Amino acid sequence: MNSSMIKALNSMNSYQMKLDMIADNVANSNTVGYKKKSAVFEDLLNTMKNQPEGFELDGRLTPLGFNQGWGSRVTGIATDFTQGTLNETGVLTDMAIEGNALFEVQVDAAGTTAYTRDGSFQISINEAGEAVLTTSQGYPVVATLPDGSQGRIVVPDGYAMQVNGDGSVNAVNEAGNSIALGRIRLVEAVRPDALVQVADNLFAVALGADAAQAVAQVMPNAENRIAIRQGYLEKSNVDLSIEMTDAIKVQRAYQLAARALSSSETMMQLANNLRS
Amino acid sequence: MLRGLYSAASGLTSQQRRHDTITNNIANIETAGYKQNTTALRSFNEMLLSMTGVDSNQPKTIGTWTGNVFAEESLTYHLQGDLTQTNNRNDFAIISNIAVDGLIFDQSGKAVSGNGDVVFQPQAYFTVQNDQGELRYTRGGQLSVTSEGFLTTSTGDYVLGTNNEPIVLPAGVSIDELTLTSDRRLVTSAGTDTGIQLLISRIDNPNGLVREGDGNFKLIDGTAAAITGDEAVEVRQGYIEASNVDVAQASVDLMAALRAYEANQKVVQFYDSTLQKTANEIGRIS
Repeated sequence: MNSSMIKALNSMNSYQMKLDMIADNVANSNTVGYKKKSAVFEDLLNTMKNQPEGFELDGRLTPLGFNQGWGSRVTGIATDFTQGTLNETGVLTDMAIEGNALFEVQVDAAGTTAYTRDGSFQISINEAGEAVLTTSQGYPVVATLPDGSQGRIVVPDGYAMQVNGDGSVNAVNEAGNSIALGRIRLVEAVRPDALVQVADNLFAVALGADAAQAVAQVMPNAENRIAIRQGYLEKSNVDLSIEMTDAIKVQRAYQLAARALSSSETMMQLANNLRS
Repeated sequence: MLRGLYSAASGLTSQQRRHDTITNNIANIETAGYKQNTTALRSFNEMLLSMTGVDSNQPKTIGTWTGNVFAEESLTYHLQGDLTQTNNRNDFAIISNIAVDGLIFDQSGKAVSGNGDVVFQPQAYFTVQNDQGELRYTRGGQLSVTSEGFLTTSTGDYVLGTNNEPIVLPAGVSIDELTLTSDRRLVTSAGTDTGIQLLISRIDNPNGLVREGDGNFKLIDGTAAAITGDEAVEVRQGYIEASNVDVAQASVDLMAALRAYEANQKVVQFYDSTLQKTANEIGRIS
């Protein structure tokens, strides 16, 4: 079999995957808190055609054997967790994180948590009639309540929410009364590679990874330069000009691989026509 | 039988190997730390041809003949690739330009010493340990951190530190908080030394490395030593070393290999028609 054809096919598949990832980034260039993804390539397994001792001729530079690779593959997705720019919206339920941290949200009734940088929160009314702070998809934001237990931020009727830089939330009314509602919980991705991007702009701990080691709770302070900014949203950290440049590069690489494919096809045709 | 028929057939096989190698290079344009391969073709050993049956059965020497060609070895160009900034703090790139006393290396990384020996430029590599516990060398520095804190390559091989042990980041410290110093130690943003120092190996004869896939090389011939710090080797965080494949050269070589293959195919056809003449026309009684 013509192995050029297999190699070209393998590489076209992985270039396609990278192109898909670029398309995903571009599509999310306006998604609040979106983090850019990039593909990590490695060369595919090599085969060594063994050569007998007699091949050890004068002038040979490498050890015996003829080495052949089989193209490339995508071995991983690297997420770029760098800070996106903050955009002022003036909406009281919009929050942005400054620094390396994630919001924790509860995704099901069993208490499974996921993490997000998307701070476009809203007040949702649940079955009990409480006004709960949730993400735009309706997942409650996890907070540490004033009594130290884990819970959610419930805003009393007639009060407005006020969030401080350290994540503590107060409810204030027009009369100036203030009630402490708790502190929005922030975690730091200590092992970012153990987090996978899932739907609804969330990150979840990858299967088989230990959540206790992957993320750690952080307390925003001046030393770790983490803060919550109310009334701001973090824009996507996708840089369109970089994405477009990458798209051109991958497209050209794909084109070249396609050229290699058609060239190896011509070779097979020549072999078929040996006896014309 | 006509000898040239087999020469042309061996030409077909060799050009196919060349084409395969170029295709593999093209396939790895986007692979960080990939090193370009090239096929070295070689003619068969010389054979002495002689004619028998002349001059009272004494064989008469005609001369030497090197009939066939074969793909002898796949050489790797271990040259520096371009650096690309990614700002990912778990991307590392090696810049290596190791000098050897009295030698000036050319563009292809080799030099000819005073007594005529060809010397290749020593190169620097990350040292990794695979799941069998064996040492491998790689230039691909797109690393990741497992949930246990091990620093690994993208395919899961452990990156070694200067203590020859897999690097483990301290619990609760992410790679984003660590900065690589010029002597390849990882320090926290507060300036505390974590005691981790990347093991960069210097390999004096890079041709002794055999490619294994997944960006790794296995050292078959020669020795590796940890770099001491006097060498012109630098490791940069937030950068990747792009593949050193020359795209223009690759597409030209691809065409050349295809056309050489085609030429060999034509020669086979010519021999075929010669044989046809021999078999069907010479000695035909009409």
